[in-house]
Amino acid sequence: MSEVSLAQIEKDTVATMSETTWRYWLALGIALSLVALGGWAWSVALRQGLGITGLNEPVMWGALITTFVFFIGVSHSGTLVSAILFFTRSPLRAAIGRSAEAMTVFTIMTAGLYPIVHIGRSWLFFFVLPYPNQRQLWMNFRSPLTWDVFAITSYVTVSMLFLYMGMLPDLALLARQVKSWRRPLYRVLSLGFSGTDGEWRIFEKAYPIFAGVVIPLAVSVHSVVSWDFAMTVMPGWHSAIFAPYFVAGAIFSGIAVAVLLLSGLRRGYHLERYITPKHFDMLAKLLLAMSLVMTFVYATEFFMAFYRGSKAEMEVFRWRATGTYAPVFWGVVISNSVAPLALFWSRARNHLPTLITISVLVTVGMWFERFLFIVTTLARSFVSQNWGNYIPSWKESFICLGGFGWFLMLFLIFIKLFPCMAISESMQSQHAVDAAVTPEASHA
Amino acid sequence: MGAVAGHSDEVVSITQARVGATGGALRWSLGLGVLGLLATAVFYFAGGPSQHATVLAGYLVAFVYWLGIAVTATIWNAIFHASAAKWMVVLRRVLEGIGASLPVFVLLFLPILLGMSTLFPWARPSSAMSAEELELLTHKAPYLNVPWFLIRAAIYFAVWLLVSDRLRRWSLKQDEVGGLEPTRHMRRLGAGSLPFLALTITFAGFDWLMSVDPFWISTIFGVYYFAGSFLSCMSLVAVVIALNQGNTTGLGGAVTRHHLYNVGKLMLAFTAFWTYCAFSQFMLIWIANIPEEAAWYVVRMKGGWAGVGIFLIVANFFIPFFTLLSRELKFRPRALAVVALWLMGVHYVDIYWLIMPALFPAGAQPHLAHLAALVGVGGVAVATALWRAKGHFAIPVKDPNLSYSLRYTQA
Repeated sequence: MSEVSLAQIEKDTVATMSETTWRYWLALGIALSLVALGGWAWSVALRQGLGITGLNEPVMWGALITTFVFFIGVSHSGTLVSAILFFTRSPLRAAIGRSAEAMTVFTIMTAGLYPIVHIGRSWLFFFVLPYPNQRQLWMNFRSPLTWDVFAITSYVTVSMLFLYMGMLPDLALLARQVKSWRRPLYRVLSLGFSGTDGEWRIFEKAYPIFAGVVIPLAVSVHSVVSWDFAMTVMPGWHSAIFAPYFVAGAIFSGIAVAVLLLSGLRRGYHLERYITPKHFDMLAKLLLAMSLVMTFVYATEFFMAFYRGSKAEMEVFRWRATGTYAPVFWGVVISNSVAPLALFWSRARNHLPTLITISVLVTVGMWFERFLFIVTTLARSFVSQNWGNYIPSWKESFICLGGFGWFLMLFLIFIKLFPCMAISESMQSQHAVDAAVTPEASHA
Repeated sequence: MGAVAGHSDEVVSITQARVGATGGALRWSLGLGVLGLLATAVFYFAGGPSQHATVLAGYLVAFVYWLGIAVTATIWNAIFHASAAKWMVVLRRVLEGIGASLPVFVLLFLPILLGMSTLFPWARPSSAMSAEELELLTHKAPYLNVPWFLIRAAIYFAVWLLVSDRLRRWSLKQDEVGGLEPTRHMRRLGAGSLPFLALTITFAGFDWLMSVDPFWISTIFGVYYFAGSFLSCMSLVAVVIALNQGNTTGLGGAVTRHHLYNVGKLMLAFTAFWTYCAFSQFMLIWIANIPEEAAWYVVRMKGGWAGVGIFLIVANFFIPFFTLLSRELKFRPRALAVVALWLMGVHYVDIYWLIMPALFPAGAQPHLAHLAALVGVGGVAVATALWRAKGHFAIPVKDPNLSYSLRYTQA
């Protein structure tokens, strides 16, 4: 990396925005088709009602809510990883922080759609906001669903500001370098940042504040999402460890998605010099650590179901592992707990195809894990006369797939408009990277 | 406190210092420890059955308090190895030293073993219990029974002793032979042992703390115990740094304000983490209000215990969190040590609050034996750590990352 000149960094980053390959068009095409498919399915749901989904008594929360929880989860690790790498002064941040933050913003924007789809009469979504109205009707402030609205809107605001603020110096740089219709865009967005000492001093003071605020926000958002479930008294949901468990799961799935995005970016734009095996090694280690945490929580939950001695709780957990959804359960165990164990070996960590395979497994596994705990509890709660299974309908699945397309589409548009690597930061941390890569013991 | 250890002769004086002149401290801690334990025994044998329970419970509090710190020292060490942290190399001996006190806890476990039927209601189902309670105990009997409890305790100790001893041995070996081989071993062991350390500390929390009230459960309880102990352990590191401040050789010469700042940051982070666990547990149980869970908090929110609970919120979160936010404070060894001692003290109250209401629902009944047990277990543990550290280098002198660590500065 040391031979990369500063001009080269700039050139390579600008290339990601200006050069469009067939791979990009292919990815965008897939994304748009998924969006179209999901959009069509949603339009059917809007016209005909939620009857087109598989939702019915007793399982009234299904794939749509699962997708919401999943995307909120993925959003977490973006900002969290970026902010934590910032505070640990990691030189690895420059190349991957921007994409991670963008991932955060777009996944929340995706996640937010699903409760709106799920409420059926989506055009009344603004009922969740507290606004003075003649009906004197307010939301239930004691409900974690209401807290969700506040938590998620604050999170999306701060994440966007965090992303935008980190981009300011780059936008200013681009406003001077780029000549096309983009120039006025960058000029306006860079807010007149011109790179003087005074501006940098303010910037360097303000940025840590955002990074500091965003970490507790990220943790609190997913904790609140977990309380949507844990604050009920439902067997399998009411568990004090749910908040940290959700946060860990969030980071877990987010890292897997980050690996996939970064490997795509790297391949598509030949960023091998910037997104290095060292980045993937770090992400792989994090993925492994989070996998172990997840396994730990799964084990604790099963043990505690027995130890609590509640018949309903034991039944839910027994059924989860042996009942209708047992194949899903064991699939989740393999993808989330067993497969990542391969990352204990540095050969697996440094072999990109292996890491990508594991990341795909984890991404899919985490979606199904959320699905599993949401559905099995509802399908098997206290009253046995009220037991019933749930299978998502085709149209419902299309709506969920649409979300993946929507997210991918937003991300692809983003990397065309904005630098996907932090140019100024890459320049600053150039020496730091050289120092971090060389010491003999760092590969042990 | 060393300045930046840039000059080579200064480095030589730092890296040649062995832990030696601990004679005074060793004698004092051993003396206090033995005295404390003897006093605890006297209190136990002098009183009737009710005093037996008081003294034993106080001993249990002291035991899990100090044990948690010793075990989490090994966990910190394993985490630092697993994450290949280089800044903390100069502090590694401190963590290894605290962890080296673990063997003595096997002996110190004996009174708990002998007092099991007094401490743990599940070990003596009595006719005073209701039918539901007895039924629940029968249900839990495959887990909560005396032989399996002892086997589990043996497993916990085996894991802790093995990991702490292996990590320490490789580290000491590196002092002799140098090179990368020991580092490689320690990193591998550090990463590989973490799942086992996590499982054992949480289940030790379930066994030794939560099962004092066998009818109550909280899935986060083990993590809660871990969080408090983890925080206290880092606080103890801050205290050790402050105690070594005068020395220009060894630890005192090697540790700079930049290391201290990191220790302070970790304390801040885990103050928040403890609060997060405590809040998750309390809020969910309070709001769901299921009798089987809420009973535990009902006792702790009434009478004398209510004040203790509020004290914990203020003393373990608001005061240390906002104090530790200060950047300047984290650079000052004495000031940080004061906060650290405060946190360690509050952690004792926390453990006390977890165990005692099971015996005294009306309110805390402090007894001199509780203090004696705290000093006794702590004194013996500190003495063991000092005795085992004696003659070894105060910092890992041949660690390949030592020079990085000595020159570590905040960016």
